[in-house]
Amino acid sequence: MKAAIRHLKRNRGRTILTLLAVLIPVYFLVSMFALSNSIVSDMFETATRVDTGHFQIRHVERRGMGSAIPLMHDSDSVLAALDQINGIEWRTVRLDMPALASAADRSQAIYVQGIIPEEIAPISSIADLVVKGTYLKSGQSGVVIGEELADLLNVDVGDEIILLGAHPETGLGALKVPVVGIYHAPISAMGRTIVHSTLITARALAHSPDAATAVVVRVDDVKGPWDVGKIEAVTAQLRGLLPDDLEVLDWRELAPQVSGYMGILQPVMIIFAVIFFGLGALVVLNTLYLSVMERTRELGLIIALGASRWRVIRMILTEAGLIAVIGAVYGALIAVALAWIVEAFGGIPLPGAELANYMKTFGMKSVLHMMISWPQVGISAAAMVVVALLAAWFPAYRASKLEPVEAMRYVE
Amino acid sequence: MSNNKALIQTVDLRKTYKTDAVETPALNGVSVELHKKEFTAVAGPSGSGKSTLLHLLGGLDRPTSGEIFLEGVPLSGLSKDQLARLRMTNIGFVFQAYNLIPVLTVLENTAFVLELQGVVHAERINRARKILAELGIEQYANQYPNRISGGEQQRVAVARAVVAKPSIVLADEPTANLDTATSHELIDLMRRLNQERGATFLFATHDSRLLDRVNRLVTIVDGLITGDEHHTN
Repeated sequence: MKAAIRHLKRNRGRTILTLLAVLIPVYFLVSMFALSNSIVSDMFETATRVDTGHFQIRHVERRGMGSAIPLMHDSDSVLAALDQINGIEWRTVRLDMPALASAADRSQAIYVQGIIPEEIAPISSIADLVVKGTYLKSGQSGVVIGEELADLLNVDVGDEIILLGAHPETGLGALKVPVVGIYHAPISAMGRTIVHSTLITARALAHSPDAATAVVVRVDDVKGPWDVGKIEAVTAQLRGLLPDDLEVLDWRELAPQVSGYMGILQPVMIIFAVIFFGLGALVVLNTLYLSVMERTRELGLIIALGASRWRVIRMILTEAGLIAVIGAVYGALIAVALAWIVEAFGGIPLPGAELANYMKTFGMKSVLHMMISWPQVGISAAAMVVVALLAAWFPAYRASKLEPVEAMRYVE
Repeated sequence: MSNNKALIQTVDLRKTYKTDAVETPALNGVSVELHKKEFTAVAGPSGSGKSTLLHLLGGLDRPTSGEIFLEGVPLSGLSKDQLARLRMTNIGFVFQAYNLIPVLTVLENTAFVLELQGVVHAERINRARKILAELGIEQYANQYPNRISGGEQQRVAVARAVVAKPSIVLADEPTANLDTATSHELIDLMRRLNQERGATFLFATHDSRLLDRVNRLVTIVDGLITGDEHHTN
């Protein structure tokens, strides 16, 4: 070990180059994981807080319903079943139905979400997104619409719109309601189509005083899609308590496009990891090979004095391992430190409104955050150390195969 | 067939170097016996095969034909790793170009073979210090090789060669890079180790100034032994 450290000190330039070859891939990978975690978390939180919850209990779908969700009239029994199991953070009853929103000569196909305002307040961020007017209050007859829909219908707070509900089970229903608030949607498609009303208003539109389309549920201690096991544990308990005509759908089934985006990120990260590690490995291989070439005489001498082939391999691998561990640790520490600094300054704002709007369509915020995951930091650093050792194997093997007499005759 | 009384015995030893289509014979049938506690020089002009003979005797290279017995054991039957082990335990080397490990101190260089043998740290340091003191270079123990003179480096090489008490020390032109006075000092030092410790030495040289200090002189010309004289001194 002492000799390895001295060898590394002897040629500082090459040692620093090798160190950087390990440090940079680890730094980039940890940073990219941190960004990707934040993006995934944003998408997940947006989808599950504003729309899907972690899972929903719905009536089993029947044919001929189109985009409408079948109605259930026994939401109280579902709530009772939820009360019997552990791990439920929050639940509420919701009535979602397709409708047409009209004002003057303009119309837009929408989705009315009938909610209980006091119940969604603790978890949904939608009340905070209201930029004009107020959010709904219980018993209030009115709707909160997105900025995009307000633009399409050319309406403002205080204006009235006509909702024409069309549910296959209850037929047509029409209501004239005032716009009480306008919200800034985290996803632009949502701003165009999702209209919030109270559950009572939605039930009036559906001509059914006890109708609901879903019981929306959030599970305790779920921080991101990586906690899917906690959700599955709860849904498994629940399925045993529900009648056959009710089904449990988790957020992946309710928002397949969001889980699809997340699914793309993983292979992208793997591709980046392969590229970074591959480049790092090439530099490590090259510098160590040069080192072995330069030390041919010395290695020949060591073999002549009686060192076994394995001993020579171990010497080279010790040097490579030392550089790899130091480089990987520093790479990880620098990435973590920079992530903390970025977070201390409130994240990285996306440059330009266009990019921010584009990201919004995927449910992401206009400020990028870095969310460090210690297991990912550990795996990235450890993987790079393994890759560096594998890259060092070839020069080490070559060194072990040197013929002592020829090696000691070697002139640089 | 080996002679058990001989430390090393060679039988019709031949070595031919092949490069592309050219074959260069270096040894053409050398049969010789070396005994314990001998202080032997192999002399001959450049290219006569002295170094080749030492390399073969030390297990650093393999002969084209013939056999070498070290304490009765034929070297041809040994694998590379077995040869390495044999070099580590039975043979000390001193090379023309000193060949110390530059990143190790004089003390660490001296103790290196003991480290390869797995001797515990405290013991190997103790033994290395002792031999350095015996050779009068203890004061350089913590210096790196590039901080001491050529003569001192060659003394360290001798210390490294004898510290593990090998069966034989093979020295290939050990004085070639040294001035006359330092050469005499080095040969006297090896002679002293031979007499006081009973260490067996075989060194190759073409330096005629040193030949009157050996008690056996083997002359080699064109890969053949042409003389084998025993001196009393």
